[in-house]
Amino acid sequence: MTKKITIDPVTRVEGHGRVTIHLDEYGQVKDSFFHIVEFRGFERFIQGHPYWEAPVLVQRLCGICPVSHHLAAAKAIDQIVGVDPEDLTPAASKLRRLMHYGQIFQSHALHFFYLASPDLLFGMDAPVEKRNIVAVAIENRDLAIKGITMRKFGQEIIKSVAGKKIHGILALPGGVHNSLTEKERDYFLDGKNIENIDTMIEWSQSMVSFIKDYHEKNRKVLDEFAHFPSGHLGMVNESGAMELYHGKLRAIDFEGNITLHDVNTDDYEQYFSEAVAQWSYMKFPYLKNIGREKGWNRVGPMARMNICEYIPTPLAERERQDYFAFSGKKVVNSTMYSHWARLIEVLHCAEQIKLLLNDPDILDNNLETSGEHRSKGIGIIEAPRGTLTHHYEVDEKGMITRCNLIVSTTHNNDAMNNAVKWVADHVISRKGTITDGMLNQVEVAIRAYDPCLSCATQAMGKMALKAELYNHLGQLIDERVKD
Amino acid sequence: MKELKTETYPFLIIGIGNTGRGDDGLGWQFISWIKKLFEIQVDYEYRYQLQIEDSELVSRYNQVLFVDASHSDLKNGYELKQCNPVNHYFFSSHAQSPETILYLTECLYGVKPKAFSLAISGYCWELKTIISTPAKKNLDAAIQYFTEEYIPKISRQ
Repeated sequence: MTKKITIDPVTRVEGHGRVTIHLDEYGQVKDSFFHIVEFRGFERFIQGHPYWEAPVLVQRLCGICPVSHHLAAAKAIDQIVGVDPEDLTPAASKLRRLMHYGQIFQSHALHFFYLASPDLLFGMDAPVEKRNIVAVAIENRDLAIKGITMRKFGQEIIKSVAGKKIHGILALPGGVHNSLTEKERDYFLDGKNIENIDTMIEWSQSMVSFIKDYHEKNRKVLDEFAHFPSGHLGMVNESGAMELYHGKLRAIDFEGNITLHDVNTDDYEQYFSEAVAQWSYMKFPYLKNIGREKGWNRVGPMARMNICEYIPTPLAERERQDYFAFSGKKVVNSTMYSHWARLIEVLHCAEQIKLLLNDPDILDNNLETSGEHRSKGIGIIEAPRGTLTHHYEVDEKGMITRCNLIVSTTHNNDAMNNAVKWVADHVISRKGTITDGMLNQVEVAIRAYDPCLSCATQAMGKMALKAELYNHLGQLIDERVKD
Repeated sequence: MKELKTETYPFLIIGIGNTGRGDDGLGWQFISWIKKLFEIQVDYEYRYQLQIEDSELVSRYNQVLFVDASHSDLKNGYELKQCNPVNHYFFSSHAQSPETILYLTECLYGVKPKAFSLAISGYCWELKTIISTPAKKNLDAAIQYFTEEYIPKISRQ
């Protein structure tokens, strides 16, 4: 008999997804899928627009990740006007980086405090009315205030260079349109009007301590929950250090063997392909040399920890070393370690922001440069959620003829499906009915990847998450809708 | 444009909506008209949606007015209501009600600013940057009410 259960409030992920779990006649999980069912359209409707519109248009993909799309598109469009990343003026390069670190800082703060913390503070089986930021605010006032203030700090950094917290504009083809004034810079340094960058670093350290303590207390479940082998992809600089704005692409397998050796971002097409599935609008990128089945990679904070040799800021590097010492692994493959990695990146970004705020180049007015126009531009950055690729081709009039976007969440498509499968196999199999706590564990596994499904499918409209349970005859026996 | 705020007035108006979505832009249009027509000592903010961090913003004011488009066909084309803190958490962390924001303001920052919500009836929600003729009429009525009754009231406080 079909039973429909409605859950309210809905999940804490960005976008619209559906989980289906298929059982055999013994109630054992046969298969599971995380479907993304919204239409992907931006790559098409940007065609025919002039290239200089791209960094402004594509940031409308999302209200959470506009800065990442703005900067990835800007890097690609720089190449259209003949400017490679190393050709940008120091001011342009550093102002873009400042915006980028501000974005990662605020996005990670949003994810940890608003989306993930209820699961950590109240447990995966906590009643739904507790699994939200309002409950966190009521019971953990200090944590909530820190979360709000940290997110706001990152947003103010973005506003200082781009004019607006959401959908602001900094980059122009070949540069940026504005630098900071001394007064604007001092706003973040002197602590007279807002908590300053030193406080952000201190709070970031306290959040890393919080998650370390949490891992100490919950080691077994965090090590085991949604643990599975996979490749890991990200960007590093020439020395192998973590690099978030521009560097070389590196991938490793689940044991740390190199599968993509520090290749130029311009060459990504040689190495990556994208598969499609009938049951999802989201594609499945993979490394061509390994193949569809095993060539997929996790991206994002945990992958970046795994692939880099060190983090180029001292406090975050110390935390990275503790992270691996605690895990006892050379490569971490446990999904829940993503939260810890994310908070180490928060600290890293805070340190980078401080360095940039104290760099006189961000006050300089030498902002633009130009070169000889080209017909193709590729921009790849490490967005909060992972490696983000923008690729544009233009005709002789500068109109876009081709656009390819490989969004971070798309890289994590296989990882999220594996995480759902892990929960289905280990938590739901042979149980027959989906309890609320079980369903939340499916979401906890997805949520650890901080997916932005709106970006990954470039969709419009209402978001929801739906979970369906099918018996061996293909009949729907249980359903949960969150909308 | 950058305006990193260092000082505030005691009264804040937050326009909620999206000017690229037809009548959903009524909240923003309201602010634009008020700014154009009057010189009053008020801070203004534009929001696509209210977010959790707006609780911190609101905590710095004595009085707040939330202005948003409404799907309801309201009497006179608009409706002003007192707004009180209520914990009715919406599923998305990225779109909160004025009541939840006030609730968070009280919980986190220990203050309870006087707050009102002004709803203005809209009719068309598709992708366009102009508001419909009947919605514009409602906007004019709301502005008239605001200037003739609301401003004199807050001026006396």
